[in-house]
Amino acid sequence: MPNIDIDAVKAQIDAEIEKINSAPALEDFRIKYLGRKGIVAQLTASIPNLIPHERQAFGQKVNTLKNRIASLVEEKQKTLVEPERQAGAGGVDMGMPGIAQDLGRLHPLTQVIDEICAIFMRMGFSIVEGPEIETEHNNFTGLNIPLEHPSRDVFDTFYLKLASERVSQLTGSTGKLANRQTGKLLLRSHTSPVQIRVMQSRKPPLAVVVPGRVYRPDAVDASHSFMFHQIEGFMVDKNIAFSDLKGVLTILAKAVFGKEIKMRFRPHFFPFTEPSAEVDISCIICKGKGCSVCGRKGWLEILGSGMIHPNVFKNVGYGPKKYTGFAFGMGVERIAMLKYGINDIRLFFENDMRFLKQF
Amino acid sequence: MKVTYNWLKDFVEIKIAPAALAEKLTMAGLEVTALEERGGDFIFEIEVTANRPDYLSVIGIAREVAAITGRKLKIVTTSPRHHVTSKALIIEIEDKKDCPLYTAKIINGVKVGPSPEWLSKRLELVGCRSVNNIVDITNYILFTYGEPLHAFDLDKLVSPLAGYPVIPLEIIVRRARQGEKIITIDGIERLLDENILVIASGLNRRTGEQANRRTDMPIALAGIMGGQDTEVSAVTKNILLEAAIFNPVTIRRGRQKLGLQSESSYRFERGIDAASVTSASAAAAEMMQELAGGICVAQEASGLQKPVKKSLRLDISGVSQTLGVNIPAAKIKSILNSLDFKVKAAAKNTFSVEVPARRSDVNLEIDLVEEIARIYAYGSIPETLPAAPLQAARNGERELVAFIKEALVGLGLNEVITYSLIAESWLNDAAFASAAEPIAILNPLSKEQEILRPALLPSLLRCVAYNLNQKQNYINIFEIAKIFSRANGQVNEELTLGIALCGAKPLLLRGGLVREEASFLHLKGILEILFERLGTRDYQFKADGAAQIGVFAGQQRVGSLRQPQKPALEKFEIKNKDVFLLEISLEKFFSAVNLQKRLVPLAVYPAISRDISLVLQEGIPAEDVLGAIKAQGGPLLREVKIIDYYKGKQIPSGHKSLTVSCVYRSDERTLTETEVNPLQAAVVDALTQKFNAQIR
Repeated sequence: MPNIDIDAVKAQIDAEIEKINSAPALEDFRIKYLGRKGIVAQLTASIPNLIPHERQAFGQKVNTLKNRIASLVEEKQKTLVEPERQAGAGGVDMGMPGIAQDLGRLHPLTQVIDEICAIFMRMGFSIVEGPEIETEHNNFTGLNIPLEHPSRDVFDTFYLKLASERVSQLTGSTGKLANRQTGKLLLRSHTSPVQIRVMQSRKPPLAVVVPGRVYRPDAVDASHSFMFHQIEGFMVDKNIAFSDLKGVLTILAKAVFGKEIKMRFRPHFFPFTEPSAEVDISCIICKGKGCSVCGRKGWLEILGSGMIHPNVFKNVGYGPKKYTGFAFGMGVERIAMLKYGINDIRLFFENDMRFLKQF
Repeated sequence: MKVTYNWLKDFVEIKIAPAALAEKLTMAGLEVTALEERGGDFIFEIEVTANRPDYLSVIGIAREVAAITGRKLKIVTTSPRHHVTSKALIIEIEDKKDCPLYTAKIINGVKVGPSPEWLSKRLELVGCRSVNNIVDITNYILFTYGEPLHAFDLDKLVSPLAGYPVIPLEIIVRRARQGEKIITIDGIERLLDENILVIASGLNRRTGEQANRRTDMPIALAGIMGGQDTEVSAVTKNILLEAAIFNPVTIRRGRQKLGLQSESSYRFERGIDAASVTSASAAAAEMMQELAGGICVAQEASGLQKPVKKSLRLDISGVSQTLGVNIPAAKIKSILNSLDFKVKAAAKNTFSVEVPARRSDVNLEIDLVEEIARIYAYGSIPETLPAAPLQAARNGERELVAFIKEALVGLGLNEVITYSLIAESWLNDAAFASAAEPIAILNPLSKEQEILRPALLPSLLRCVAYNLNQKQNYINIFEIAKIFSRANGQVNEELTLGIALCGAKPLLLRGGLVREEASFLHLKGILEILFERLGTRDYQFKADGAAQIGVFAGQQRVGSLRQPQKPALEKFEIKNKDVFLLEISLEKFFSAVNLQKRLVPLAVYPAISRDISLVLQEGIPAEDVLGAIKAQGGPLLREVKIIDYYKGKQIPSGHKSLTVSCVYRSDERTLTETEVNPLQAAVVDALTQKFNAQIR
């Protein structure tokens, strides 16, 4: 005979389970009855000791008890879990700081360059970068900018101090000789020399964007820097028209500054494009009404552009009658300043952590 | 360039308001950058592009106004009443290339005095100070016609030999001699050389020249500024009026050499229309007669030529093709006519277009297309998208750089962009020694732009110093940019990664604040993750002296970790802080990158892991310990790594504690404890024997 009174057990489980109000207590309860050495196991173990005709009835009783306890545990579990979770969330002070490692930031200029390049890549342009040390030919004469002409005045340029006899042997990083034909070495004053490099090495169709650093000896103030960034782009094929230039640049400007902006293309002069256009967008601050950012004009100039000058094609050995193309260039700092409301170009190069962390 | 509304109205009828005119001019390529109402007139400030010298005059702009508003230019006629050709003037031009045309008039009997109010007011509206009637007339004609004039006091054109004015007067246009001097009307003495073109006056050589004597002296810097000695003053009676054309490049070089820019040089540098020389000179003579009572008694010209007619062919359908909009032939013709171009049908679909002489910018067919587009209005050209063939060209290097930047940002680093130009002294200050020669800048504006940097580290140190100054406690920055050097007659640009860590990173964890001081191991951790992401397995760190650790990818040294010493830091005004720097040549490193990923099958059988905590003498390198464990563990030992370390009170001084995790696994079966336990015991034995390690 087992020394456990199965009916007494039956009677006490209800009272016991009623008092349980935590998961560990429920687990103790489960082990006490259903564990490997628990009461149900003991009862089961005692079955062989019974006289045969009692075994079946007792076995059924034990089984019923086991199922009952299991279902009680299962039910209790449901009631316990929910209130516990609530108690847990209620117990955390969500005013305390969250725990995570901060991410770093890409420089705002990198973010703007990446954004603009991504827009052009979606339109099928590829990205090319060129060297920052350039020849006079690629920076000026190849682009139809005569060395001694007022049209060069906007391109004040840093020259490199290299012994003249050595210049003739110098090679740039693409292996181009800097000699009498290509002129002295300088820091590129715009990204346009990459037009020359790409066109000299590849045949149309071309759709290329060129981001990069450029240099001009300007005294540093809130709107001038001797180093800044440009993004150049050009497309050359048979039958590229001025209307295509307008279409592509409109997509760009709307993608960067929003669909609602207005645009205008104004005739201008650049030696390496003809016809040339400056591109304005309606002021993103005042929406065209006129404010201090747009100088009360309601328009912001963001781009220079035009159809590639036949002389540039001639200089790279393309037949000007065979191909047409457009080119454009923009100052990245200017775009970033407009986009983020930055009013001093020097902030980009001071790299104050409090500045960088905002982008 | 400034013009006023009323001044323009002298030459063209304007029916639209100033603001509307400004808008029209802007959209035609004459950008009005400011419009101001003053003194009953409106001042237009216009940006004139370098290709349009013909716009540098009121008449030039009036011509454009006429074209865009559909009016005709009011014809300007001058009737010089005293057409005197005299032997009183001899003009000698040393080199016709420097001065293709020189004209001069002698005007006698002027009465110098203040200008009438309308004249002085008009000049003042465009920012030109009124001086006296004669000078004001030359300026007024300059602004109206775009042809710079100069008035000399004839009686001060003294011959050095004679000591008084000599008739006939000889005017010489020549290069200055080395060492010659002139005091210009701004009162500054200018030292001249043969780059500078001057106007000189002298004795007529046919009358009194002596050998080896200077027979003339400079009286003006040609096309730039007149001399003080010969300027018109209150007592001037007789005038020599100059109107000329000088070579743009000669004037440009001269003014660059002298650092002296003027309204005259600005226009000569851009080119003068020969036709305006005669008309401007005549108009000035007429005004001098009207306003100062002077009579023109003599005039002489040298170099006058008939203008060459310039004619271009224009493919009519090409216009529409280039612009992407269909412009009818009649429209093309009327646009060109409005700009004074003469259009004739030359062949089928072709116009022959005669270009006005003043339009030095129109030389190719495409220049005509621009004129048509400009007047047709850019805004009327539609927006289309080019039918470009699809391409998926990739830029591997740029993609790698973007990948690296993203990984570094994920590791909490902030990207900086610093100047590529630095002061040479920063290299010494940063104790940076390089075998390659830095590249100097020929024309820096300041010392801080002396050289192209051969390293990123000095710039990063400056950046750290700047942020410390702004009371930032933790600075973790990186930059990816070119560095520059020259070697063996070669200039090199090398894409380089620089990282700087300084200060303590505050980590707010569940257990509270932990301040994590930056160290070499943080740089190592960053690189390990970077190398792992880039598939670079074979890399090493090798100490290179006390403050520098070399980084190797394969056999190649790709960069180094550095800790600048105190004196160097102090040069950058970094006090009581350690800075840890890293510089890696990405160009060298890229060859060790392998972005190809291959799945390593996940382990089928469970591993057994055993941790050992060892107390070791501090000097024993961790690498040796790990090496010894690997050597002893045998093929079943798959992974050995340090999972904890400790230095402090709990262990004897001069010692450190390492906890090493050893993972045993087989690819063929589930390992049992009885297999692993003896292996691990042997490892422990080896460590105790080899390093005298204590097991904790």
